[in-house]
Amino acid sequence: MTTHPSRLMIRIAAILTLGLCAGTVLAAVSPLELVAPVADYKLYVAENSRKLVTDVRNFTAAVKAGDIEKAKQLFAPTRMSYERIEPVAELFSDLDSAIDSRADDHEKAEQDPAFGGFHRIEYALWVEKSTKNVGSVADELLANVVELQKRLSALTFPPEKVVGGAAVLMEEVAATKISGEEDRYSHTDLWDFQANFEGAYKIVELLRPLVVKEDRAFAEKADENFKAVFDTLQKYRTPDGGFETYEKLTDRDRKLLAGRVNTLAEDLSKLRGMLGLN
Amino acid sequence: MRSPRLLAASMPRWDWNEMHWGETSMSDSNDDRQRNEIRSSASGAPTSPERRQLLGTLGGVALVGLAAKPAMASPGAPTQVTDAPVSALTQDRIPFHGPHQAGVTTPRPAAGMIASFFVLAETREDLERLFRTLTARIAFLTQGGPQLDPDPKLPPAGSGILGPIVPPDALTVTVSVGASLFDGRYGLAPLRPKHLQQMQRHPNDALDAALCHGDLSIQFCANTPDANIHALRDIIKNTPDLLVLHWKQEGSVPPIPASSDGPPESARNFLGFRDGSANPDSADAALMDRIVWVQTASDEPAWAAGGTYQAVRIIRNFVERWDRTPLQEQEAIFGRVKATGAPLDGGRSEHDVPDYAKDPQGARTPLDAHIRLANPRTPKSEANLILRRPFNYSNGVTKSGQLEMGLLFICYQADLERGFITVQKRLDGEPLEEYIKPIGGGFFYTLPGVRDEQDWLGRTLLQASA
Repeated sequence: MTTHPSRLMIRIAAILTLGLCAGTVLAAVSPLELVAPVADYKLYVAENSRKLVTDVRNFTAAVKAGDIEKAKQLFAPTRMSYERIEPVAELFSDLDSAIDSRADDHEKAEQDPAFGGFHRIEYALWVEKSTKNVGSVADELLANVVELQKRLSALTFPPEKVVGGAAVLMEEVAATKISGEEDRYSHTDLWDFQANFEGAYKIVELLRPLVVKEDRAFAEKADENFKAVFDTLQKYRTPDGGFETYEKLTDRDRKLLAGRVNTLAEDLSKLRGMLGLN
Repeated sequence: MRSPRLLAASMPRWDWNEMHWGETSMSDSNDDRQRNEIRSSASGAPTSPERRQLLGTLGGVALVGLAAKPAMASPGAPTQVTDAPVSALTQDRIPFHGPHQAGVTTPRPAAGMIASFFVLAETREDLERLFRTLTARIAFLTQGGPQLDPDPKLPPAGSGILGPIVPPDALTVTVSVGASLFDGRYGLAPLRPKHLQQMQRHPNDALDAALCHGDLSIQFCANTPDANIHALRDIIKNTPDLLVLHWKQEGSVPPIPASSDGPPESARNFLGFRDGSANPDSADAALMDRIVWVQTASDEPAWAAGGTYQAVRIIRNFVERWDRTPLQEQEAIFGRVKATGAPLDGGRSEHDVPDYAKDPQGARTPLDAHIRLANPRTPKSEANLILRRPFNYSNGVTKSGQLEMGLLFICYQADLERGFITVQKRLDGEPLEEYIKPIGGGFFYTLPGVRDEQDWLGRTLLQASA
């Protein structure tokens, strides 16, 4: 799932020791050229983590107040800021597991006392139809996203994690989300898809000037595949700016999305090497 | 563990063909009682005319390149699409009797399976009946022989999938018991092995209760998956009131061509890396007594002597994602060169030993590389050695349309706490976790061996509690 913080530090230290670029044949991009896109990405993450804290504050307040309808409305949009920055958010595996683990990460599934975070509350809202068991879960969720924001603002972003993040998001969608398993009680998966694609596209966008220098066709193919997934999701937009439920996704569109996501995952997996990163 | 060799010659370790010829090139295992038994029993085993002819024809020439193909050219080789593939190994026979159960230090064949059961026995008498029945069935299945059906009005005695004369096919069947067998049911609680406990969740685990734990585990290993399935069906058919199947997982190991020069190579896992390079030498009986077998003079209950702890983990591999990971990252994650298996700090093969003392900062082998965390090779970590016996598994397709495959990890050790549990705690948080997800398994205690015709599995346990 993720890298343990202390191990991450070891890896970051190793990167600094080795230098950013350990000379692959491909790399015409100098490590210095990555400084600007990485800094811009850090701003993007800061903006999203700030919004995440605000949204989770409102969401958990509704949960604590027992306002199930309002909490259900806030659930999917609140998650989007987390899903956009998932590749860096999940660098802190303790928080990722506390914020976003699913029932099947736990041996006793929904009944497991260790099951908490967004999906435990989702289960309360849509299945248990009661918030009486999740007051403390809501408190912990808020505390954890506040902690996440704090850690992210202190984190020196490893360039290879940023560049690799685009592929990581595609891998997440391909491996465990395309099936509708992520938001299995609310079926709000299309919101998560949109946010994951936005997060991946942001990285590609920031790196585009460098990528184009290396391989223009690669950049164009990635753009085309992103356009296809955004166009597909657009068909499921509702008038209020949200999304239809996952169940409305046709079998054909699900397969088409899977194919594009797999292609993006294959292509974006070459991004790090292309930019000379370890 | 070493790769299975379906047909191999000139091997430094024991070898089916050499055993059948009665040659003794195994100087390193003379003190290993079980291996000697394997040889004597196998050489006394009936060798099929086809086999004798095949061996006669090929003589002592190294059969390089033939290993992976059971259907090889030989007199009477198949010519039609549905002719059965031909194997020269169906009469391979592993002795059943001995101080330890077979299937632990026995070289790993190509096919393996773990099945976990709930025990339904209601009384101690029923529990004894279960163990005696298992003993009788395993003695038959592993040694082979005719399974007659005298009355056609009745269902056949067995599944018949291997024919009326059951071939041993190198089958071993290894019985182990879970912590739950030592609950209040049979009065065994005071006799629970000291470290036997229910497997706990590690941070990267996503355990599925339907794939975890159990009162009793049976490990099946054989040359073919069919022999394992035959044995499983036989045991299920013979214990309907005593056992209910809880979960099972099958696996396999890719055979490789025999190599005429150099030591044997380890098989590769589904991540493409050699798995088993630094495994302790299972032919070294003294080493196995130290690492694997619980000794009489230990802090374990006396009945447990000759047994061992079995740890099983079903570890899903995210292979699509792995295949999209840069090679140098794959190698840094494992700490080995993918092509050769050599450690990252130098050497030419998997048999070269990394020298971490010369690399304290992890410049060559990252400090969080899998092999470095699993075995830091310090004097202290000597106490944590385990004997691995893994198989690769492939189960179909996930809900997301990805391959559901990975590693059926099995290991044995005399001390579960100092063995698997300590090693896994060191691995918790390793970079490999991004690509793997343990979803099932359990901890079991492998019962001492069945010494002779009068003995039965679990005898020492039940007698100690009588």
